Amino acid sequence: MSSTNDIRSSYTRRSFLSTTLIAAAGSSLLLLSDDTVAANKPQSRLHTYNGSTDPYPIPWLDKNGSHNQPAGPNLEPSHIFHFKGRVARCADFAGMGTDNKGNRIPFGTRTTDYGYMQGEYFAGRTPQTGAFTHI
Amino acid sequence: MFQGQAAPENQIHDFHPPISPSGLYWVVQVPEGALLISPDGRTATLEMKNVPVVDQPRWPALDAVGMPATMSFRMIWKATDEKIVYDDPQKQFRVEGYRATSQLEAQVKVPSIGFSWKSDPLSESHANFAIIGDEVNGRYYTPIK
Repeated sequence: MSSTNDIRSSYTRRSFLSTTLIAAAGSSLLLLSDDTVAANKPQSRLHTYNGSTDPYPIPWLDKNGSHNQPAGPNLEPSHIFHFKGRVARCADFAGMGTDNKGNRIPFGTRTTDYGYMQGEYFAGRTPQTGAFTHI
Repeated sequence: MFQGQAAPENQIHDFHPPISPSGLYWVVQVPEGALLISPDGRTATLEMKNVPVVDQPRWPALDAVGMPATMSFRMIWKATDEKIVYDDPQKQFRVEGYRATSQLEAQVKVPSIGFSWKSDPLSESHANFAIIGDEVNGRYYTPIK
């Protein structure tokens, strides 16, 4: 049986070829379209999903349920976990000041504390560097 | 800040940065050049201008309302000759440094209530506890053998 005389067969092959060509062309257009869209997407949409590069708090909680580190002898001065570097801490401040109406107002209590952390900390799966202050 | 004696019921202002989404507590980044540490690590000056903070007079109440405020300050730490080593294997941290003196001068503004306050000069303040040194914790910590 000749395929040229086989209307169904001929139709089917032609149809298949046409469909294939159209599909291929469509795919190319789609691919082209996707590439064009991808090229126009801002870089910020590409993510590494490594987590934040912000420092982690010290895990232990204080009595208020916060990641606060009270200052004092034998207590940890840093507020950042996975950290190595320079630190300073101070607490139990006493001082005086004046408001914009001329009132003398004292500041400071046993828990009025400040500190800094400067150095390396681990976040986002890699070492980071920075300086931070607790105020 | 207190009206009268320093007691919770007399507190009229409490200034601090917001707690971060990660839980990092009242911590802000220090801009380049704002923190100067001497090469021997024994003296440090931290000076920052117009740091965004909140004024929460009723802190630490959970429903304490905060008002946007700014804080400018200069703080100095100076090491004494008293050495310190705090080492805690359970909490995974070690600090080596010195007891220190610390002084502070500051200025705060709460625009929404028309309040501002300026401390006396740095030399007029003092902290009863201060340290300065180096620390390792977490993944950087190894116990002293």
